[in-house]
Amino acid sequence: MEMRFRQNKALPVKVALLLLMVVLLVTAGGLSGLGCIRGLQAIGWSGGAIVDNTLFVGSKEGRLVAINLAEGGRQWSEALKMSGQGAGLFGCGTPAAGGGCGGGPTGVAIYGTPAVAGGLVYIAGYNGKIYAFDSSTLQIRRIYPREGNLQPIVGGTAAAQDTVYVGAADTKESWKLYALDAATGNERWQFGTGDRVWSTPVVSGETVYFGSFDYKLYALDAESGNKLWEFKAEGAIGATPLVHNGTVYIGSFDRHLYAVDAASGTLKWQFMGENWFWATPLVYEGVIYAPCLDGRVYALDAESGLKLDEYDLGSPVSSSPVLVDSTIVLASQAGGIYAIDTSSGQKRQLVDIEAEVYGPLSTSQGVVYIHTQDLKIHAVDASSGAELPTISLKSGE
Amino acid sequence: MNPWELIILQPVLNILIWLSYYLFNSFGASIIALTILMRLITYPLTARQLRSTKAMQSLQPKIAELQKKYAKDRNALAQEQMKLYKEAGISPAGCLVPMLVQMPIWIAVYQSIMLALAIAPEGLLNLSRYLYPWPAVYSMMPLNSNFLGLDLAATGNFILALLVGASMWVQQKMTTPPAVDPRQQQTTQMMVWMMPMMFFFFSLWFYNGLALYWLASTVIGIAMQYFITGWGSLLPGREAGQATRDKKYRSRIARVEQAPVAETEAIEADIVEPSTAQEGGKESAGAGDKRQDRGAGYPKSIRQIRRQPRSSRRRYPKRR
Repeated sequence: MEMRFRQNKALPVKVALLLLMVVLLVTAGGLSGLGCIRGLQAIGWSGGAIVDNTLFVGSKEGRLVAINLAEGGRQWSEALKMSGQGAGLFGCGTPAAGGGCGGGPTGVAIYGTPAVAGGLVYIAGYNGKIYAFDSSTLQIRRIYPREGNLQPIVGGTAAAQDTVYVGAADTKESWKLYALDAATGNERWQFGTGDRVWSTPVVSGETVYFGSFDYKLYALDAESGNKLWEFKAEGAIGATPLVHNGTVYIGSFDRHLYAVDAASGTLKWQFMGENWFWATPLVYEGVIYAPCLDGRVYALDAESGLKLDEYDLGSPVSSSPVLVDSTIVLASQAGGIYAIDTSSGQKRQLVDIEAEVYGPLSTSQGVVYIHTQDLKIHAVDASSGAELPTISLKSGE
Repeated sequence: MNPWELIILQPVLNILIWLSYYLFNSFGASIIALTILMRLITYPLTARQLRSTKAMQSLQPKIAELQKKYAKDRNALAQEQMKLYKEAGISPAGCLVPMLVQMPIWIAVYQSIMLALAIAPEGLLNLSRYLYPWPAVYSMMPLNSNFLGLDLAATGNFILALLVGASMWVQQKMTTPPAVDPRQQQTTQMMVWMMPMMFFFFSLWFYNGLALYWLASTVIGIAMQYFITGWGSLLPGREAGQATRDKKYRSRIARVEQAPVAETEAIEADIVEPSTAQEGGKESAGAGDKRQDRGAGYPKSIRQIRRQPRSSRRRYPKRR
């Protein structure tokens, strides 16, 4: 009977069936491929904060990890909880939940570098919550908001005096900079922006500076939240500003690095790269070292913006560099670790750690710590380039 | 960047973003505009595919007769079928080749939409390496994912998924050939329902931006199909009138249908009893088609079948 059915099936029907199957296969194949392509899952790239020889970092498992750099001991907080959204197709967590995919880490993504102040470690999760952990026990002390979740938070927290600052939103249309009381976790004030705030706020003196996707760099009074000035770029600003000698340096998606007067908000100079300026620049002896996603690091005169030099690192640079003595240490996304000797202006590769690097670097006692996407902290001696034993961030390992 | 990204994905992605710059920063409008653009570019291929499919459908009654005669000889059946297609000027591959050619474009559009939406921060960071150095492109980032109150970067919009499923059902219904044999009924039913159902669920699971693309693409596809081949099996009674819009289609069918009148009359007295399947086939040819031609328009090989004495013919097996 089956054979007869096959024999009698007309060719047009066969062709139509074949077409249908081809369409479905392509769609299913394409979609399953898309299901795990880079950029659909929030994974996180938290940098490390080093206080009293302890490195605090947010891991891809959604935990705050404390690493004793002297003894090598590690301590993990309890995992941050998802915001409640269910898992997506093919076992992938939804981005809003910060879910991973395909057997990878499934915790809440953490992008911001922790801020440490007053015995507490502040960290913001992609689940839309801001946490305060005890710095010695890693017990959760405070959560904001206590009920529900804000929109996914990408920027880091900034703690200054008795206030914690972070960019977040109740809804997708209501992005703000929040100022929270460090002692109680209560909200002090909020300042509305036109779009997302991925920039980590920087507090300098009585002023807090941050950028927004609404193309603006804001300067607010740290105490009251009143706007002092705003500067509009030609593209979205997701980078964290650098404040130095009365000037705010900040990169934008319009391919420019801007130098803006910190007091008035007027433009001093601007420099154009060949891609976005994502990372926070670094200043040393009147020279700005600005990493760019075009794979180069530009050395610019801090006063005039004149290009002094440029260094090709071979792949995009999204991690903020660190200064070790008089050496600038940088990491490319591909895992190349480079050192620029500021006295000679020479660049040399310290080591290739062969792991992706997105988050900012941190340093202590001549060693550079690099949080890589493979759930590890790589440690590299900044002077010799020697790779020290890596530290796993995997809980229980 | 690999050749696929450089040659196909990157241009499609940048056009998508560039369009949104000129469409009032609306990524949804950009998706629709790109879909229209892509459909226009691939129109010759789509039209060819639709015509081939439609022409093959119209030959179904003749194919059924061949199957009757060569039920026990599959090789001969295949040869006769190919001969028939050749005489009608139809290539069965004509249905598949255009679709295969379009596939890279579909995949590039899928990937571009997902990349441009930059759902997670890693996506935005990753996106930067694909962008052309055009101010209209890089200054647009990140794109506005809100479109008519719909968040294109969110998932699970039931109404949108329903629209995708319904539009795909309409398109499938227009495309799927009517069953010549009642035993094919189940197969055709499956074809009509399987894809809409799958895309309904895909639309629920995947981002609304992708579902919007599927909806736009299907609606445009329905419109194109209507103008090329008519309503098909969706509204069979209106097909003949609609199909006359397409001269190429008409001429192709006429190649098989045309035959001298005398020859038609000669075989008039020797007509195969219309089976249920043939009725179905007739219906597919259109209600306005009275089919005075009872075989003369068929290739010589088929006409020979008809001239056989009635007693020597094998009828369709009776349905139980």
